[in-house]
Amino acid sequence: MALRIIPILLTLVMTAGSFTHASASDVKYKRSIESYTMPDVTLINQDGKKVRFRDMMASNRLIAVDFIFGTCTTICPVLSAGYANLQQRLGPDLNKVHLVSISIDPENDTPKVMKEYLKRYRAKPGWDFLTGSRNDIDAVMKAFDAYIPNKMAHYPLTLIRSSQNGSWVRLFGLLSSSEFLAECRKAGL
Amino acid sequence: MLILPLIFCLTTSAASKATTVEPGLPDKALHFGEKMYREGLLPSGEAMQAYVNGDTPAPGTSFTCISCHLRSGLGSIEGGINTPPTTGKYLFEKPEPINLTKYRHFDPSRPVYTDASFAAMLRGGVDPAGRVLNYVMPRYHLHDDDMAILIRYLKRLSSTFSPGVTEQELHLATVITEPGNAEAEFYYRALQTLIAQKNNMVKSFGKEPRKTRMAEAMLMSREAAFKRIVVKKWVLTGPPDTWRAQLEQHYRKEPVFALIGGFSAGSWQPVHQFSEEHQIPCLLPVTDFPVISDNDWYTLYFSKGLFQEGAAAARYLLRETDGHDRGAVIQIVDDTVSAKALRDGFNSVWDNGGATAARTILLTPGTSLQVIFQQNKGATFVCWTGNHALAKLSEALLAGYGLRHIASYGYLGSTIYSLPPKARSSLFITYPYRLPHQEKNYDAYVNSVSSVLHPSTPQQVRLLKQAYAVYQVLSQALIDLKGSYYRDALLDVIGMNMAPGMGMGLVLDTTFPLYERFSFGPGQRYASKGCYIVQLTDEKNPGLINRSDWVIH
Ligand code: HEC
Repeated sequence: MALRIIPILLTLVMTAGSFTHASASDVKYKRSIESYTMPDVTLINQDGKKVRFRDMMASNRLIAVDFIFGTCTTICPVLSAGYANLQQRLGPDLNKVHLVSISIDPENDTPKVMKEYLKRYRAKPGWDFLTGSRNDIDAVMKAFDAYIPNKMAHYPLTLIRSSQNGSWVRLFGLLSSSEFLAECRKAGL
Repeated sequence: MLILPLIFCLTTSAASKATTVEPGLPDKALHFGEKMYREGLLPSGEAMQAYVNGDTPAPGTSFTCISCHLRSGLGSIEGGINTPPTTGKYLFEKPEPINLTKYRHFDPSRPVYTDASFAAMLRGGVDPAGRVLNYVMPRYHLHDDDMAILIRYLKRLSSTFSPGVTEQELHLATVITEPGNAEAEFYYRALQTLIAQKNNMVKSFGKEPRKTRMAEAMLMSREAAFKRIVVKKWVLTGPPDTWRAQLEQHYRKEPVFALIGGFSAGSWQPVHQFSEEHQIPCLLPVTDFPVISDNDWYTLYFSKGLFQEGAAAARYLLRETDGHDRGAVIQIVDDTVSAKALRDGFNSVWDNGGATAARTILLTPGTSLQVIFQQNKGATFVCWTGNHALAKLSEALLAGYGLRHIASYGYLGSTIYSLPPKARSSLFITYPYRLPHQEKNYDAYVNSVSSVLHPSTPQQVRLLKQAYAVYQVLSQALIDLKGSYYRDALLDVIGMNMAPGMGMGLVLDTTFPLYERFSFGPGQRYASKGCYIVQLTDEKNPGLINRSDWVIH
């Protein structure tokens, strides 16, 4: 029993500080400009196709990246509704933006699960959902300084890569769809 | 310093009265309400319209109430966003402060909702105190009729505790389908031993007030610290089509809160169906034949069993042969449910993998494996045959006709270690557990039971570890449930708190014995999703080397 009690205490100490009660006033997002180095890993997309992640991130389209998983509650639906809505708003500019969602539950997120997820959000071409080995996914999360060791830290994060100079805008928090579109414009859309 | 505040918030446990009322759906309106709540569909069949984050329209089918408030309606916490309960009790009756999980305490200061103020809130996002709700909570445009249906549903949602709970006891049952089966008996004893150890703890807590306070604080749940767990044994006899009636009879006599563990050497389907229809959670039965379903809710399995091994074999083959000429792929199956499960799993992947169809040959008693190999020289043979055919498999492997061969550890068991060295080099084996040399580090997890039960075979060690996993999942769930004895809430907390990498409290996805990773997420029903492809080493007492990662995409 003694063995088992210690981890509980530890997790309490770790999480007690990070918990905040969300309310209408504190949902503004934080914004910063970053530069990241992409790991050379091969991931799998919703069609089961292999994807060289570094190549994908080096395209000259505008890229947005977020971290979700197929069965996640609360923040994933909100993030994904944001992606879906952006695609809707882009109209003829649809193919100027490449939306990428990276699974943080690669064990469960098989191509089949990811494809169904995208269908549920009425995703159009240009929105890819990527899974892979646990190590490769960890490498990607670390590269974006987004390593998510536990659930309390799974905060909504969106990253946008400028099509002009390759720098990244880091957006921490949930954005409304006008805010998201405005951020894409600033990044060169 | 840390413990004090915990003790305070623990003293107001809401749940302790027993009841036998079950939530059901006596009328059509409730059925429609459930569809709105769970699926985001209006009675008309159209999607509810939701607005998220202020201005983002989204179909209600991707924004169902359950994706945040969960199936039980008790809410969730995720990504720093605290979703309150949305049950009738909490909305329409005088809200009392409640502790839902160890991180979530609600003390709503707003007035109670009326039907009208609820409708106003759902449409406009302002609560009866005039507070504008966080815009993560969508705004829903609903007509009055539909609104009334949803309200009616919420008033019923998690309104009475599920059966099987008394002031001092939580009643559970273990279903065993093979009377006299030694493995089943051993497994049941392992489970009982673990539960008895917990109950002894409860007894000792009760004696010393100081210990009691410590236990409450440490376990963060009066319930886990103070309720005795009673596990009944429900033995089913005769053929599977008679089990349902037996289950009903047991249930009438002993209306338990949930089923835990359980053992069947054959089908689990009738028990699965029983759980689904009575809405009784069933945690982790030991079976090679879990029901494979994307939507069923009530049974949590260790894995997809043999089906999963079959699927892993197909993924491995597809990946290994990607971009090459695949040659013929032939599944050889014997006439058993095991071979059928393996084949179904294989086909579920292979048929969508873009490869040419795999042929299947049924191995009848008269046909020779070696002749099949010889007639199809150079093919990849996927051999779903059991250990009765091991000698034949060995001969056929030695004859060297095939390009590569695949077999199942789950089906063949540890007899594969007896294959002669020459037969090993072209044989790949699906292995659904952590590799043996690493698994050694996890043996200590079950010391407290193995010192009582002295397991003598690899199977018994495995059963002990499985019983241990059941016990861990149950203990953590009872802590997180915090006295909210609703069956759906039990499954909700397991889904939320056992999501991957999200180890809170006792349970981490990487610290279960037996499986490399073991986790659930919301709605996920198979804990282990991985499987290795291994080969036997050349040594006299061979070991295993993995030829694939744990998860094969
Ligand atoms: C994307 C997540 C999400 C979805 C989907 C969602 N909610 Fe909410 N809901 C929330 C959050 C977060 C809050 C808390 C907002 C706050 O306190 O500022 C909330 C608050 C509420 C409240 C107010 C509770 C109170 O004490 O005042 C009710 C009632 C409610 N939701 C009902 C529903 C119903 C019914 C549905 C489906 C038709 C639904 N919610 C869908 C996240 C969600």
